[in-house]
Formats: sequence, structure tokens, C-alpha cells
Amino acid sequence: MRPATLLRLALAGTRTDAARVTLTTLSAALATLPGLTALTVLAIPTPPATDDNPNRWSEQYTIQLLVEPGLRGGTAFALLLLAIPVLVLAGQSARMGAPGRDRRLAALRLAGATPGQVTRLAMLETGLASLVGTVVGLAGYLVGRKLLHHPDASGRLVLPTDVLPSVPAMAAVVLGLPLVAAAATAVMLRRVTATPLGVVRRARRTGAPRPWPALLIGLGVLAVAMIDPIVRAFRDTRLDWLFADPATRDLVIALVAVLVVFVGLFAGVVGVILGAGWISYFAGQLLHRFARGPAALLAARRLTDDPWASSRTFAALLASLVVGAGAAAFRARFLLDEQLQREQSRRAGYDDYAGPFSSFYLSTMDLVDLTVVTAVAIAAAGLLVTLVEGIVTRRRAYAALVATGVPRTTIATSILWQVLAPAVPAVLVALGVGHGFGRQFVGDHVTGGFQEEVCRASAELCQDPATRDRYTEIVQVERVIHSPDVPLEQLALLGAGAVAAVLITAGLGLLFLRANTAVQELRST
Amino acid sequence: MTHLQARGVVKAYGPTPALRGVTLDVAEGEIVAVSGPSGCGKSTLLHCLAGILRPDVGEVSWRGDRIDTWSESARSRLRRTEFGVLFQFGQLVAELTAAENVALPLLLAGTGRRAARTAAVNWLDRFGVAELADVRPGEMSGGQQQRCATARALVTEPRVLFADEPTGALDTLTGEQVLTQLVRLAREQRTTVVLVTHEPRVAAYADREVVLRDGMVDHTGLGFEASLGGGVR
Amino acid sequence: MLLGLLGAGSKHGYELKRAHDERLPRSRPLAYGQVYATLGRLLRDGLVTATGQDRDAGPERTTYALTDDGRAALDQWLGSVEPPMPHVTGALFTKVVVALLDADVDRAQAYLIAQRRAHTERLRELTAVKTAARATLDDIVAADYAIAHLDADLRWLHTTLSRVADWHREVHS
Repeated sequence: MRPATLLRLALAGTRTDAARVTLTTLSAALATLPGLTALTVLAIPTPPATDDNPNRWSEQYTIQLLVEPGLRGGTAFALLLLAIPVLVLAGQSARMGAPGRDRRLAALRLAGATPGQVTRLAMLETGLASLVGTVVGLAGYLVGRKLLHHPDASGRLVLPTDVLPSVPAMAAVVLGLPLVAAAATAVMLRRVTATPLGVVRRARRTGAPRPWPALLIGLGVLAVAMIDPIVRAFRDTRLDWLFADPATRDLVIALVAVLVVFVGLFAGVVGVILGAGWISYFAGQLLHRFARGPAALLAARRLTDDPWASSRTFAALLASLVVGAGAAAFRARFLLDEQLQREQSRRAGYDDYAGPFSSFYLSTMDLVDLTVVTAVAIAAAGLLVTLVEGIVTRRRAYAALVATGVPRTTIATSILWQVLAPAVPAVLVALGVGHGFGRQFVGDHVTGGFQEEVCRASAELCQDPATRDRYTEIVQVERVIHSPDVPLEQLALLGAGAVAAVLITAGLGLLFLRANTAVQELRST
Repeated sequence: MTHLQARGVVKAYGPTPALRGVTLDVAEGEIVAVSGPSGCGKSTLLHCLAGILRPDVGEVSWRGDRIDTWSESARSRLRRTEFGVLFQFGQLVAELTAAENVALPLLLAGTGRRAARTAAVNWLDRFGVAELADVRPGEMSGGQQQRCATARALVTEPRVLFADEPTGALDTLTGEQVLTQLVRLAREQRTTVVLVTHEPRVAAYADREVVLRDGMVDHTGLGFEASLGGGVR
Repeated sequence: MLLGLLGAGSKHGYELKRAHDERLPRSRPLAYGQVYATLGRLLRDGLVTATGQDRDAGPERTTYALTDDGRAALDQWLGSVEPPMPHVTGALFTKVVVALLDADVDRAQAYLIAQRRAHTERLRELTAVKTAARATLDDIVAADYAIAHLDADLRWLHTTLSRVADWHREVHS
């Protein structure tokens, strides 16, 4: 096939195809931004240590996260994490109109195209759309850079608008994303290109999901909880013969710890996401058994029929919630520290001074929360795409139902049931797991547990070295474990926000119901 | 009082007129075939008569009440209780079993789950597909699906059944079996049937045939004489 | 049939045979003997009359034309509907051809519509027989045979009805 023909066929499509391409472009553009921003943060040069600046801080910024070299890695990582929900959004938009496109590609196969040609076609569509997106993203980044470049009176910057990542790094983002997207398309199309008849009949009846995801979550939490023991075990065992110098040993230990944390977190998040499938199956069965009315029946059957749909739909949302709940645990710990610090300061006679670090940590947490909220919003957009796609795919059946006199409100109610029944428990689980993780990390604030000399006499006697000893006692300061409170309020807020986001998107999605239940839908096949 | 009546019904989709003034009376218990070439407005007429679409001009009345002026929810209720609707294909909910699909209208009417299921299985049995009660549409043949759909359309014992090319997607023999059962049950229950088809052979199941051409009753065809023959006017 | 061919204008025997073979290509070619035998019968019944003779080239030829009685007989034949039995297509076809030759589009259409009505009625009767609760498989199979053929006729009637105007133009061109 000549490239021109390929391009022509790749661009032929219906309105849904156009919508999908637009969404792909948009999400690619959106994903480019955090990627480039993260690169920018990493590109900030670390000045050599001077007497004025022993910590090698980059004093040209106002935000501590950018100033300290040690924090920049984390910041960049957090920014990259923001790209994850965007990528999930991209994945969800790729599913939009997928049945229609699959049919079109299957038709091309019937017309004699080879599987390779069809795959190339779809890859071309996704790749080109993403490329346009990343280029737009790059342009947006460059323009934004210029617009946001506002040094304050002392010449300091809020954002690192004075540095630019290296050209190869930028090129890697702009060209790499479309390549990854195209490769993902090729993987997803394996089934379609295998048979020219496409997937016509849907007679899938997979077995009921089993509660294995719970095991995964447990494993994750356990892994994170095991870090301390693991690290200690490494330190205690006589492994010195393995490592020449203690620095290598510490590095290995740190690496192992990071690996364990990563595996644990990953297992936890995947467990929560897969758990949503099990939850929706279970919710569907409960609904089927106890709920009355056709709306609940429809929702129940749909949930049990394809429980993994919930996993796909809520993946980004649940992942953001896990992070959000973990952050809430961190914040609770920082708040506790701050409170203890204040108490100590008060006891020591100072004013209510909490120290500079506490405010730094808390403001960092504000940034993290902002990221989580953004992620939830993006996840909600992805939810909307999936929801609308579900309605569009079922429009024939819906139109037939409306024609036979099923009120649209019944269908709308069934869709709400279908979304909320798994969403609410899954959100709760995600919050619980996220908080559990966070709690494991931050641990408890322990005071006391050590011995202290206390002079029990008047100030004069204690001042005098001669008499002091007589009155001095060694006192065991009681070991007090201050556990950070479970930040119920924040968790509730987070959960409520997520459920509200789900509700809003469901409401928006239902706006498409009317258009998709018109009788005309019955005519088109 | 007439049973079901259309008076000068005009309906257009954008600039294309689908119906250009159709007048038709259907008597109680009558089986009327609406036939004509593709694009003559058959389906649109059916949708107007069934209260799915609202005519641009003209009246549609059911037992003397003008249903074209009713609200969507009122017409919805009418379709649910007094009418049954049957399409060519694709009307069953893929995720529900046959029995649940058939029970759906009853559940909407507030019947209990158990009673609805019993009635649904009973109706499936009348169409000879009782053994499919717990099977989903995706696992059935086209004829089986259409039998379930017919059972669903009749489960509420409607007064009028609207069928739009009900055998269009079936082979001759299967279509014939579905139609024979449908007509037999309709006559048993004195259900009025409005049957849209382009096939003379299917139209022959009706008591009377109304031919549409270009959105109008074709007076050179059978429509004119036949509607006089129906003895309503 | 010959009445119809004469209806378009007076002809002699040879021309009649040629017109017949041309218009009805599917039926058996007419033998001269048959043409003259039929003409003789029509002459005897007073439906045609010999209008003249010419012998310009070759043998003597008699030209025949329709009488008023003949025209009435033709009208009656065209107006009558064939019994809707299986395999009536031949007669249907002949009649439509003659109607087009001899009369106008309306006449042909009117005939087609009347014939369609008769066919539809029969189809409905047969369907009723078939769907009757006490129909035996014998009845059903027999009815199916008739229905299938009537259905074919009906389809032909439907399509011909929409082609009649064009066909008329072609016949008279």
C-alpha cells in the first residue's frame, strides 16, 4: 500500500472516529506538559558549593521544592505521576468508538488487506494524532514558559522558566509518546486483525472474579510494613564479607528498600483497581438478589456481565485516591509533629513556634493535594469518555427500550446504579489502602523512652555544682507514642469529592442518553 | 369510537418528508399490514401511530384521545401498558437473560420479580423457547431472539402490537413460524396488529393491506379499496 | 392475442406473425397456418374484417382490421383478471404486452393493479388456510407451493407496475 493510500484510509472515518482522534490529540498534548515540566525541573543546574551557599541551593527560586537539589527529584517524580491519569485518559479515549473502528478495520481485512497493513493503519492514526498532540503540547509549553516568566523584585522566580531541558530530552518526549501510543494500539488490535470477520457476537461468559485482588493489597501493605524489619535484618546480618565498604552496603540496602516499597505500592494500587472488578461483580449480585425494579436489574446484570469494565473505568480515579489518602496520612503526621513542636516550644517558654520545617512540609502537602485533585479531575474526564462510549455502544438497545415504553429515567437510573454501586465501595477501599500505606510510611511520633537528669531543688541549689549532685535524680522519661489521628475529615472530603466527581460525570454522560435513544437509531444498523 | 386512527399525518426528517398526509383507521382486533417500497414512510407511520414520534401535522388518536398531544412520559406509559412494539432485530438487552428481557415490561409495571418471571417463562413457552429462559441473546440464533422479542412485546397483553419488519432478518421458514405464532396469539387475544413489511407474503398474514407510496396512502394500490373494505369509514 | 396486435393498426398475416414473435419473444413462434386459422375463426365471428389486398411484392396479401365487435371483445379480455393460480405468468405477461401496444399506460396499470389485487386476495386466503389452527401438514405444504408462485407473480406485478411507463415508451418508440 502506498503511503498516500494508507493516509487516506487512516483518515476515513465517522464522527466517533473524529472524536477519538481529537481526544487522543488532546490527551497527548496534556501528557506532554507534565513530562516537559518534570524535565525542566530536572534541568535546573545545581550551583557549586560556596561559602554563602553550602547546601548548593538554587537561590533564584521562591519555592523550596525547586531550591533544594535533594527535593527536585521528588518534585519531578510527582509531576510525572500526574501524567499517569492523563495516559489512562488517552487509553480510555482510544476505546471510544473502538467497536466501530474494529468493524471498519475488519471490513478492510475482508477487502483483502493484510493484518500488517491494517495494524499499520491504526498505528498511523494513533501515532499521527499523538504527534500532533505532543507538538501542540510542546508549543503550549514554550508559550507558557514565556508567559509565566515573571521575576519578582529580587529577581527570583516562582517557576523554573529560566531553564530549558536539553533538546534530545524534549525530542524524546515529543517523539516518544506517539511511538508508545502507536505501539499500544498495535497491541490492542491483535484480536481484530487476527480474523477478518472481526468480533461479531458477544457470547463471552467469563467466570466470576475471585477475591484475589484482596491478597494483592495485603501483599502490598505487608511489603511496605516489612521495610523496617528488612532494613534492620540487612544491617544485623553479617554481610560485611559481601561488601567491601559500608557505603556500598548502605546503597544496596537502600535499593532493596526502594524496590520493596515500589513493588508493595504497585501491588496495592493494582489490587485496588482489580478489586473494583470483584466489588462490582459482588455489588451486581447483591443488587440482583435484593433490589427491586427494572433499573436495578439492568444495572446488576451489566455489572456481573462485565465486572472488569468497572476496573477499567475507575482505574485512574482509584489510583489517584490511593495517592491522595496516602498524602492525607502524611499530612496527619506532619500536623501531629507540628502540634508536638508547639507544645514543646510552649513548655520551653517560647511562643507557639512550630519551626520552619513544619510549615515547609505542610505547604508541600498542599502541592501534593493539588496534584491529587487535578488527577481526580482528569480521571473524571476519562470516566466521562468511558461512560459516553458505553451509552453510544448500547444505543440500539436503549432506543428499542425507549420505543417499547421504558422511560428514559429508568435507563438513566440504571446507569447511575451501575456507576455508583461499585464506585462507592471501591472508593472506600482505595482510601483505606492509601491511608494504610501512608500510615506505614510515616509511623508514629515517639517521645521519651530515654533517661534524663532532673535537679529537684530550687534554682539556687541546682546552680551550685556542689549541691547539685545531691538533688539530682535520674528519671526515666516516659515513652509516649503519639499516633497521628486518622484524618477522617480529609479522607471523607476526598471520598466525597471523588463520588461527587463520579456523579457529575455520570450526570454529564446522561445528557448523551436522549440523543442516543432517538428512534432513528433503530434504522441504522 | 375508532380504535386507532391517523388523520392527515405529516412527518419530515429535516427537509425530507417521510409522511405527506396519511389517514388511516384501524379497527379493534384487526391485523393491518402497512406495505410499500423502501423509504415510503412505513416505519415512520408506525412510529407515529405507536406514539414514539410526534407528527408534525395531523392527529393520531387512540380510543378517541389524541395521543399526539400527550407528553413523552404519558406516551411512554401508553406504550408500556397498552401497546407492544416489535422491531426487526437488536431490541433485546444483551446483558439480560431471555426471561429477564421478557419480564422487563412487567417489572416496569410494578409486578413482583417472581410473578414477572413466571409470566415471562410462560410466554417464552408459547413461542416454544422456554428452554432458553436463562440464556442471553448473544448465545441465541436470530429466530430465537425474535421469538423472545415477540414474547416480550406480548407479555403485557397489549391491545395493539406494532411490528416493524419483524421477520426481516429471518429466513423464510423461521419468519413464517414466528409470524404464524404471532398472528395466532393476536387473534386469540383480539390484539390489534399493525404490521409493517415490504413483502407481499408477510402482508398476506394481515386482514387488510395498506400500501404507502412516497409518504401517502397509494390509492392506485390496495389502500383505498381496502380501507373502505375495512368498513370503518 | 391477435386481436390485440390488430388493435394497433391493420396488418396482414405475415406482419401479424412478425409482430407476435417480436413482442413476445419468450412464447413459441407462431406458425403461419395457426395465424390464418385463427384469422378465419375471427372473420367468421365478425371480430375482424378484411380491409384490402395488395400484391406489390410477391404473393397476394390480405390486410385485416378490427371490427367494433372485435374491439369490444379485446376490451373485455384486457379488463378481465386472470384467475390467480400458480403459473399464470404467461397469460399475465401477454396481457400486459397487449395492453401496452393497444391501449395506454393507464390501461396497463389498471390491469396490473386489478391483477395484483386478485393475487393478494388469493395469497391472503392461502395464508389463512395455512395458519388455521387445524391445518394439516398436507394443507401447509400445498399452500406453500401456491404461495411461493403467487409471491413470485406478485413481485413481478409490483416491479412491472413501476416500469410500465418506461416500457410503454419503448414499445411505441
